[in-house]
Amino acid sequence: MSSRADFLRSLPYFATLGAEEIKRMEKDLLECSFGKGELLFLEDEPCQGLYAVRSGQIRIFKSSSEGREQVLLIAKPGDTFNDVPVFDGGPNPASASALEPSTVCIVPKETVLSLVADCPSALTIIRLFAARLRHLTLLVEDLSFHHVVSRLAKTLLELAVVEGGPSPVPRLTQDEMAAMVGTIRDVISRALRALEKAGAIRIEGRRILVVDPEKLRGMI
Amino acid sequence: MSAIPEIALEKCTGCGDCVEKCPTKAVELVRDKAIMVRPEDCNYCTDCEAFCPSGAIKCPFEIILTKLEPQS
Ligand code: SF4
Ligand code: SF4
Repeated sequence: MSSRADFLRSLPYFATLGAEEIKRMEKDLLECSFGKGELLFLEDEPCQGLYAVRSGQIRIFKSSSEGREQVLLIAKPGDTFNDVPVFDGGPNPASASALEPSTVCIVPKETVLSLVADCPSALTIIRLFAARLRHLTLLVEDLSFHHVVSRLAKTLLELAVVEGGPSPVPRLTQDEMAAMVGTIRDVISRALRALEKAGAIRIEGRRILVVDPEKLRGMI
Repeated sequence: MSAIPEIALEKCTGCGDCVEKCPTKAVELVRDKAIMVRPEDCNYCTDCEAFCPSGAIKCPFEIILTKLEPQS
């Protein structure tokens, strides 16, 4: 058996397939290599298929309107990604780029769906589940972001001191803030901007000014 | 005092990632070390810190309680 078939069989999605079906998947399989930093696909583009990492590491991320990136997942060899749009028929929910020179296998969407083609009711159920998963993922992102904003607001309130006062002004990098509120740096920078937009803080160079402690308290 | 990142030269491997990412070209490699060659251009966006693979650049923020009225 070729190593490509072995690889397919090692993926949870295809672990129970028989030899015939594996052969069908293998026939349509595309294998692509990407250099460090190269884009595989973009958020909101039509979905090409189910991706699986053969070697290297793939960064799955979302871009904000300001062009900042939030990493959702680092996919490692043996991991699959971009599965939701394969099944719910929607666009790619996030973008993907290679973190290092990487090779991925792509099983085209139609080929994956052909596995359940002779069972339309199974396909309907999978579609519904995938759509629900997409919806819940968005909801969780939203909820967890609000949670970070609230914990960051609390931390800033506790730490902020008046300049020239008896206690030294605390200095924190965004990584340190992230560690304090239990998140990652990308999310902290978004949360800081959310607090600034709300008018609770102002960021001037290296200074985070708590200009409206009451508002900050209201965001906890 | 203008805000500029703090670079720990002993940790800097000279990879140049910060130079590539800096939107204002404030940082450059000098003899294989990252140096703030145009500190006045730095806008403290912290991109260099985010992308430095060896943790050599730090952009700390001071957390200050101010009596200023919030700007609308
Ligand atoms: S903080 Fe931003 S502008 Fe300043 S040196 Fe780093 S990347 Fe350049
Ligand atoms: S990214 Fe970090 S290690 Fe690389 S040159 Fe800049 S300071 Fe040095």
